[in-house]
Parts: sequence; C-alpha cells; structure tokens
Amino acid sequence: MEEMSGLKRQVEEDKAAEKEHDTQKGKYMTFKSGNEYFGLEIQYVNEIIQLQAITAIPETEDYIKGLINLRGKVIPVVDVRLRFKQEPFEYNDRTCIIVINIKSMMVGLIVEKIAEVVEIKEENILPPPTIGRADKSAQNKYVYGIGKVGDSVKLLLDPDKLLNDEDMSVVEQANEMNEEE
Amino acid sequence: MADDFSTDGMLDMYLFENGQLLEQLQDMVLEQKDADCFDEDSINEIFRTMHTIKGSSGIMMFDEITAVSHKLEDVFYFLRESHPRHVPHLELVDHVLEVADFISNEMDKIRNGDSADGDASEIIKKLDKFLDKIKDESGGSAPNGKKEKEPPQNVHEEPKQFYIAPMATSASRFYRIYIYFFSDTEMVNIHAYKAVYALKEIAEDLLYSPEDILSNPDSAETIFKEGFKILLQAQSSEEEIREIIGVGYDIEKVDIVECTANEFLQGFDMEFVAPAPKIDLESSVEEIDARMAEGGAEEKKPAKPAITPGDFVIQSKAPGKQKKLAKDKPKAEKATFISVNLSKMDQLMELIGELVISESVVLQNPDLKVPGLNLDNFNKAAAQLSKISTDLQNVIMSMRMVPLANTFQKMNRIVFDVSRKLGKDIEFVMVGEQTEVDKNIIEHISDPLMHIVRNSVDHGIESKEDRKKSGKPEKGRVTLSAKTEAGKVWISVEDDGGGLDRDKIISKARRQGLLDDNKPDSAYTDKEVFQFITLPGFSTNEVVTEYSGRGVGMDVVVQNIQAIGGSLEIESKKGLGSIMSLKIPLTLAIIDGIVMEVGKSSFVMETGAINEFVRVTKDMMIHEPNGEEYIMIRGECFPVLRLGKWYGLAEYEEEVEDGVMLILEVEGRKVCLFVDRLVGEQEIVVKPIPSYIKKVKGLSGCTQLGDGSIALILDAAGLVE
Repeated sequence: MEEMSGLKRQVEEDKAAEKEHDTQKGKYMTFKSGNEYFGLEIQYVNEIIQLQAITAIPETEDYIKGLINLRGKVIPVVDVRLRFKQEPFEYNDRTCIIVINIKSMMVGLIVEKIAEVVEIKEENILPPPTIGRADKSAQNKYVYGIGKVGDSVKLLLDPDKLLNDEDMSVVEQANEMNEEE
Repeated sequence: MADDFSTDGMLDMYLFENGQLLEQLQDMVLEQKDADCFDEDSINEIFRTMHTIKGSSGIMMFDEITAVSHKLEDVFYFLRESHPRHVPHLELVDHVLEVADFISNEMDKIRNGDSADGDASEIIKKLDKFLDKIKDESGGSAPNGKKEKEPPQNVHEEPKQFYIAPMATSASRFYRIYIYFFSDTEMVNIHAYKAVYALKEIAEDLLYSPEDILSNPDSAETIFKEGFKILLQAQSSEEEIREIIGVGYDIEKVDIVECTANEFLQGFDMEFVAPAPKIDLESSVEEIDARMAEGGAEEKKPAKPAITPGDFVIQSKAPGKQKKLAKDKPKAEKATFISVNLSKMDQLMELIGELVISESVVLQNPDLKVPGLNLDNFNKAAAQLSKISTDLQNVIMSMRMVPLANTFQKMNRIVFDVSRKLGKDIEFVMVGEQTEVDKNIIEHISDPLMHIVRNSVDHGIESKEDRKKSGKPEKGRVTLSAKTEAGKVWISVEDDGGGLDRDKIISKARRQGLLDDNKPDSAYTDKEVFQFITLPGFSTNEVVTEYSGRGVGMDVVVQNIQAIGGSLEIESKKGLGSIMSLKIPLTLAIIDGIVMEVGKSSFVMETGAINEFVRVTKDMMIHEPNGEEYIMIRGECFPVLRLGKWYGLAEYEEEVEDGVMLILEVEGRKVCLFVDRLVGEQEIVVKPIPSYIKKVKGLSGCTQLGDGSIALILDAAGLVE
C-alpha cells in the first residue's frame, strides 16, 4: 500500500512539476550586462538576492568572484560581465546576484541590473546568425538564440555553457549579432 | 520473482539484515578456524543464522538460498543435537564459508537487480556428503541422527518450524518443578500447557511430563494422579519462576526443587513413571508430532494457535519474530541496534553543523558588544547552550564512527582463502581493530586494504620451502594494525615475508624509462624506489596469479586512498618483510581549527597541523637571492610561506614583525606560514568547495564563521608541498 501511495505521490509530483514547467515555459529573466540585455529561461532561476560578502578564492579565473553563504549553503558566484570579457564594473546597492540551479549545482551570477521577466514566444526566437562566421560557429556557445520582444532584442543564454565552457568573448559575438540585426 | 519486489522496502531490509548476519557468521567462523571445533555458542549461532536466512529467503522466494541455508542448518542441527566427536573442522569451516559466499553472491545479484540464478545443488550435494560422513563417524550413536536423513528433494518443502532456544550460559540454573492442580479443574492439560507456555519465555531448555498434554486429553488423568512435572533450565530464581507459573484458582501447589546440570540431563528418570522423550525447545513441531504419532497418541495436531503470540516459534511467514527473539535473550550483552538510513544521518549531521554555526552567530553577535550591557545571565545561558551543542556534536560524531573490526574481519577471510589456495600457512594478527573511523571513510578503505593484504599474502610471504631455506618459521605472519595518532588513522599491513626487491624494482623502472638515465641507482632512496610499485602497469611479479601480479591495483589503491585525503607509505627490508601503511583522516566533518586573517580574507587551519605560533623579528629572516625566504627559530631553519603573497591576495602584511608565523608540521616536514593575524580557535564544520571551482592547491574546503562569512580551510599537507 505504501508503495502505491508513494507511486501516486511521485506521479502527482511529476504532474505538478510539469505544470510548473508549463507555466514557466517561454518566460525569461532578463538582465543588463554592458549594453546588451540577456535572457535566462526562468526555470533555471532559483532566486535573486542582494549582493553580499564574497569570500575570494585564490588561483581561480578572475570571473569567479568567490563564495557566498546562502543560508548555510556555500555557492560560488560568477561575475557575468567578467565572464563575457567586458569591462569590470563597480558593485553598488543595486547590484544583484541571480542564483541559478543547473544540474543540481547552484551558482550565483552577479549582474549589473535586473530587468524584468518577459515572455518570448518560440516563433520570436531566432537562432544566432552564422553568416560569415562559419569558422567561429563552434565558439557560438553561450547564446543559443535571439529573442525579439517588441523592438528590443534579448540574447538568450544557455546557462550550462555559460558556466562550463572555455573562455570566449561574448561581446564579440553579441556585437556581431547586433550588427547583423 | 525478484522483480516484483524490486521497489519494495522489504527487499532492502532482507538484503541488509542478511548481509549483516552473513558478516557476523563469517567473523565467528574465522575466529574459530584454528580451534579444534566450534564451541556450543557458535554452533547455536550458526544454526540460528542459517535458520533466519532460510526463513526470510523463503518469504522472498529465493529458492536456492533457502535450500542451501536449509542444508547447512541441518548440518548444524546435527552437530548441536548429537555432538559428534570426529568432525573435520577445517572442512566444516570451508563448507560454511562456501555457503556464506554463495548467499552473498546471490544477494549481490539481487541487489543489482539481476535474478538470483545461482545453482546451489553442488553445494547441497557436498553438504549432504559431509553430513553423511560425520554421521557415519559418530557411529550412529546420535539419538536424533535418524531425523536428519532427509532426502535431498525435501529441501524445497515448507521450511520446518524450530523452537530456537535462547543462548545457554553458565549462569543457568536447573529446576525440577512439580505442579499439582485442584482435582476439580477442567481441561487440566490445557492449564498445564499454560504453565509450559509461560515458562518458555525464560527457558533455555524445558522438558515436561506427560509430554502429550495437548494432543491427548487423557493426559489430564496422569496430571491429576502424579502432578505435572517440568524440568527447566533458566537463569531465573525460584521466586521468579513461581511468579511466572502463577498460583491461580487451578493450581493447588507448586514444588520447585533446584538441581544440578547432571541431574537435569538425566531427565525424568526413576522418579517419573513414563520415560519422556526429550522435548526441548529446539525440536521441530513436526518431530514432536512424529514422536507423538509413534507413541500411539491420537493423531491430533499440536494446538498451533495456542503457541503463536509471542512464542519462540519462528514461523517462516513472520520475519519480525527474530527481533522478538533477540529481545527475549536473557541478559543479552549486546546493545540494541536500529538501522538508520545513512542519508538521514548525513542530514542530521548537516543540521547540527548549521546549529553550531548559528550558535556562534548568536553568541558572537555584534549587538552584544555594546558597552554597558549586563550580560551575566546571558553568559550563563550561553555557556549551557554551548555545552549542549558540543555534546550533541560529539554524539552525532560518535554515531558516525564505526570500529574497523568489520573491515578487518573481511581481511581475515581474505588471508584465510588466499593462503589456503596457495598452500601457505599464515597467521593473521589483528591489532587495534576497535579503532573507530568515520563511516564514510571505512567505505573507501575497504577495497584498497583488501588489495594490500592480498599482496602481502601472495607476494610478501614466501612459500614454505623458501621460508625454511632462509631460516624463518614455516608459518608466515601478517599483521594488520590500526591506531589513531594526531587526528589521523594509521592502518598498516605488515608481513614477515621476502620484502620488496629494490634491485628488481630499479631494473624494471629503468626498463620502463622511469629513472633518470644520468642518475646512478644509488641516488634513489628506498622510499622513492618503492613508490614505483604504485605506478600503473608496474608489477615485478613474474608469475601472474589468480590474486595479483597484473600490475593493476597498487595505482588504484593509491588513487582511492588519496581521494579521501590519505596517503600510502611503504617500508621494506629485503628478506625481512614489508610494511604498507595507510594514513587516513579520522573524519571529514567537524574539526578544531584556528581562524586567521590575511588582509580581508579569513582562513582556517586544522589545529592539529600547527606546532606553534611565533612572533618573529626581521633579523631572523634569511633571504635567498632567488626570492625564497627562510627563518631561523631557535637554531632551526624553516622555509617561509607568505600566504598573502602566495595566493596573490589584494592586500597583506609585508612586515614580518607585524604578522604571525605559524609553524606547520606535516609528516616530519616543517614550514613557516606567515599570516597577518590570528582570530581565534573554533570548531568548524568542513564543507566542500563547490565542484564548480577547480581544485586550488593548499585548500581543502571551506567553512562558515561565526559572523556568517565563509573562510577557506587550508590544507597543511598541500602547503608544505
């Protein structure tokens, strides 16, 4: 009997998760970094917290700012601007950390400014342009699509690649894309 | 079949419990492998274990396991009942281990979701042969021998029901009890049975007369005439027995006479009219039944319902009963155990870690630093809180600590197996097996240790002939020892065998191009040379045996040990033997640490690694032209490591006179670590650095400080390197 109810619960949980997934689908958390707006699928976003004390870790990449203590959990934080090889910026009161969760790993993203949550329909998402940069296409990693919202454009990020891929200049990419727009 | 249960907690429980039983069984068997025969307790215990496994396997419908455990149970039943004199002990040990292996093997299959498809018929045949053999040798004098001659096909029948006697101990006392009932009592046989039933709770052995009280209503007559007679072996006092029997409306008089064991064994001899066959708690119901039938009693089944609740009968369909039995064991010395899911323990551990941190957040709260506060009461309460949380920590730590004994016993088994197969006579000595280590760590050292022990037996100890030639005793010796020292556990495997051949290793290393061609052999220290055997693909053994020699292994061993922060040291003298020592951290969870600061960063160092703190003056420093620094302290020269500079921190103290030197010692190597200032000592909860961040040399983890900020934990060994 127990097993049955366990199974049932599992099914219901799955359903709930699916539902949640459905309601989350097509929604993107957007933030500003440099001159561009980026979008992250909202299902990856755990929460947004204020900047807090960061413990630096020596001998790591410069974009890994260190560790923060999120209610007893130690999570690494990444400066998105540095990650994109943009100019560093001064942290202030409005600087936020987006805590994302990918493959059960929690990572904080330090971003200049949180924008809004927008809905982008699938038909409004274009694959990143590849014309004239076939040789570089392998590098086209973080940005998997370009979402059009009204007149503006959001660069949609693949968080997994954002965290794990080798360094590359996203600015370069972004600029090229913008030009093509 | 197994699939139906694959998601069932019952299966987990089955695997877990039987796994434990098998382990205990092996331990016990190996403990007595050198004796002439098993003692009575062990025979009982093995019998009991097999019985339990048989029962639960029957429920889970693992027929082969049921069959083979049933057979072994039969063998031990015979041993227990008939005490045969000539039992080839080693052969018996082999048989028991074989059965244990078979069952373990099947259980592994089940655990992996495969079907338990092993064929036990070979083993069963062997056991049958063995049983016949010992029966023949004991000359058929065994009174119960005939009952054992079950045809092999019977093994699949419904498991027999045995009464299982609680362990007999020397504290037992023997009683002869006479119960006289009032003559107007109806169904006096049932009343008599009530007394028997009650006494079973305490009985180690129990006989009664007339014995057919339940099947034969006429027995009432006898009871009225002669009284109801009981022979009882128990640890209880006379008063206790009297209380158990109870004097009610039915019983007129109870006489209890204490007697000696001898008298007890004579049974109801002359005094009793009818010579009663022994009905002890160990006989099966069927047997009782059979005897009753022989005795011409009525063909009535024993009243089973009357003996179900809380009885000693272990029914195959009621696996919970074993626990009941364990509880009923009189004066059981073993502590009671419950099995807890390890993840729950981890969770508890984590919560307590959080608690410790929150506690320091409260107690070191900056709000308390406001001048002029009267904190007397607060401090009292705080001290109490600290005490409790420290206790709590100790308890959870001790819960996770498990003695190495189990792991060591496994090694015992390996030595036994390998040495027998190789025809070597080896004495296995265990020292300090009670040393306790965190459960997580034990899991990681079992395999490496097994490998090392196997190597020692296979390669370390020479053959008998060789040993004779070199004037050593024929019997080799492998010592497995464990001790705790300086927050680490040292486990060493020592053999008195041939030792490592330095020249052989060197020539092999040369061939493999591991040595610098320009360096002579003598330039390498023993330690360096021996380290070669831990490299992948390096084996000096010419003959690849079943157990070792393929050159895979030692490298894996070293890897596994390093994974948990341990190390392997090898010492060896040619012709005298070798010692392989594992050095392993005691626990990975909570440690005592010193908190220090460099610039704005906080670091923690394990207290055990720090020898002393020193304030130094400039003139003690020695600067090398290449930038390296040394310091002379009390005539000793230490290399200096400036933490801030080393890690390239944003700001750090330059002047040695303004900072603090920490003298660290790791494995005899010392180094001075220069930091800005010390903050204090604190118990810290070790947390791993998130895997997203690549491993940084010298850092072993991180922890949360009293103010909620995160400090990095320095790894002394990494720094010394």
